[in-house]
Amino acid sequence: MAVEAGVETGAEGSTLLVYTVSYPLAYFAERIGGDLVRVEFPAPPDVDPAFWSPDPETVAAYQRADLILLNGAGYASWTDRVSLPSSRLVATAAGVADRYVVVEDAVTHSHGPAGEHAHGTIAFTTWLDPTIAVEQARAIRDAFSRARPQDEKAFDEGFAELERDLLDLDGRLSEIVAADPARALLASHPVYQYLTARYGLEMRGVHLEPDEPPSRAAWRDLQVVLEEHPARWMLWEAEPLPATASQLRELGIESMVFSPAGNRSADGDYLSVMEANVRRLATAYRGTPER
Amino acid sequence: MTQVFYVAWRYLAYHRWKTITLVGAITLIVYLPIGLRVLVDQSSRQLTARADATPLLIGAKGSPLELVLNTLYFGSDHPAPTRYAEAMRVTESGLSATIPMYVRFRARGHPIVGTTLDYFDFRGLEVADGRNLAMLGECVLGSRAAESLGAGPGDYVVSSSESVFDIAGVYPLKMRVVGVLEFADSADDDAIFVDVKTAWVIQGLVHGHQDLNRPEAAAGVLGREGNRVIANASVVQYNEITEENLESFHFHGDLSNYPLTAVLVVPPDQRASALLQGRYQSDEDLAQIVTPVAVMEDLLGTILTVERFVVAGAVIVGLATLATAALVFLLSLRLRRRERLTLFKIGGSRLAVASVMASEVVVVLASGALLAAGLTLLTSQFGSLAIRALLRT
Repeated sequence: MAVEAGVETGAEGSTLLVYTVSYPLAYFAERIGGDLVRVEFPAPPDVDPAFWSPDPETVAAYQRADLILLNGAGYASWTDRVSLPSSRLVATAAGVADRYVVVEDAVTHSHGPAGEHAHGTIAFTTWLDPTIAVEQARAIRDAFSRARPQDEKAFDEGFAELERDLLDLDGRLSEIVAADPARALLASHPVYQYLTARYGLEMRGVHLEPDEPPSRAAWRDLQVVLEEHPARWMLWEAEPLPATASQLRELGIESMVFSPAGNRSADGDYLSVMEANVRRLATAYRGTPER
Repeated sequence: MTQVFYVAWRYLAYHRWKTITLVGAITLIVYLPIGLRVLVDQSSRQLTARADATPLLIGAKGSPLELVLNTLYFGSDHPAPTRYAEAMRVTESGLSATIPMYVRFRARGHPIVGTTLDYFDFRGLEVADGRNLAMLGECVLGSRAAESLGAGPGDYVVSSSESVFDIAGVYPLKMRVVGVLEFADSADDDAIFVDVKTAWVIQGLVHGHQDLNRPEAAAGVLGREGNRVIANASVVQYNEITEENLESFHFHGDLSNYPLTAVLVVPPDQRASALLQGRYQSDEDLAQIVTPVAVMEDLLGTILTVERFVVAGAVIVGLATLATAALVFLLSLRLRRRERLTLFKIGGSRLAVASVMASEVVVVLASGALLAAGLTLLTSQFGSLAIRALLRT
């Protein structure tokens, strides 16, 4: 049993202490558990949690949790390099492993007797497909119900509301893309694989950082891509530098932020960030903001 | 009466070698069956207590006894490896929680136990000094291991190579000690605990090395084909996990194929236990499921049979020794006829002379019995350590 900040956790009938490795999971857990759970997501707000690593003290805090929500699909690889109690781990995307997107251009290497192996061959932003997000939320609901069977009804209600919101998001995205399924798009970074897979987007990825001016080689690579993929919109994880946006505009490409919502945002929660994403995507597809 | 004992004592002291031989013989006659009984009782209690607290074990098909002794007492004979997939199989069935165990490597004679944090909860092990495992490459010492290695939090323990001739195999890993466990009076006190992933690092299945895209690794790169980098075995691999190189550690291949020596299974009830055991009855299955208490009862049955033979032998030898001792006393009485006459002549009564002779017998018997009691006490105090040492080898 752990007692922290005056909130008793860990004991039967008390608040369930839940640690997560990503913000979307924290949001889902908060929506499903409400006041019955205390959700902690300790990654600092200014880092990408996919590549963040906790210090031993933070790992110890994870170890004290009643449940530790993992994303799966290789997200937060730091979990492979620390000791966590396996009986309290919940791999939320394990049930949809057959829908994992394999990254074709991952770097592989081989040396010694163990032979060839690759790193990061599976795309991990699973929650960008709202139907996968529903399955992850369902896994969270099931884990909560197993840990606190007496509160199962409340967890079911929290999940039902969240599922409604996520499926609504899915419906709106489908509707937007259906208006012009062949529209060519560019992704500044390879993080939109699940969005692409779910809605059949015509999207090609390049490697540009929003906070760094692209190199000459990057501009040349972009020109090559544009020759066979004449996109007019580029999706960014965050607002690009004004100079980059301006240079892109000269090439006839408009910039649009589609936040992966991987971390807590000052602009709102997961749902409001995704709704803003939907509105901006509607602009790209229809030229006018979505309702 | 004091004079009687004094005369008897002086006689025994004068014939000290005869006395010592008689006392030694009596001691062994009394101690052997009783001491053996105490030892067997203790080993039965110890073996069944730890086995009782371990509901089920899954391991590769082979000797169930080797599987149980390696998992419960960290014996040096390790069973054939099973796959991590067996732990996943049980967990995914929803029937039971599992604790992976990989007890293969050693450090200065102490077993390195690769497991997860659930093992500490399962055995009720508490950290007395420092903290529990958190990062890859850390270890926590059992109380006796810490004492024997002279190590505590902040020190380092290096795993032993499996063979000095195995130059392409297991390299020593320098592990940072982060905690020492409270004394548990069990095999856990002698162990060095690491995360199962650290045990795989020792084996080289999880490893860290130079970034092959960096200039300092260029000498080890044989070629590049698109996104594929081929390097030779000269790429520098780390034999210590530090904050600086932790990020470079990665898994090779499919996790489900990673080796374990056993999977500790903790079903919530009898029904789940029966269902799980039913799932491992197929002849084609490469894994077996065993109930440690049943395996240990089989072993105890063998030990008890041996004990019965030993006790029967000891009783026969004892009777023969007693008869010989009686003969020694009788012959001694005959040889001492002139001594008894002298005692009469200087005024000793028949009763006093008989008392002196009887006192000699009583002192010899009492000394033997006392020594046997002392040895039995020592056995009861330190027998458990001897049993554990035997189980580890």
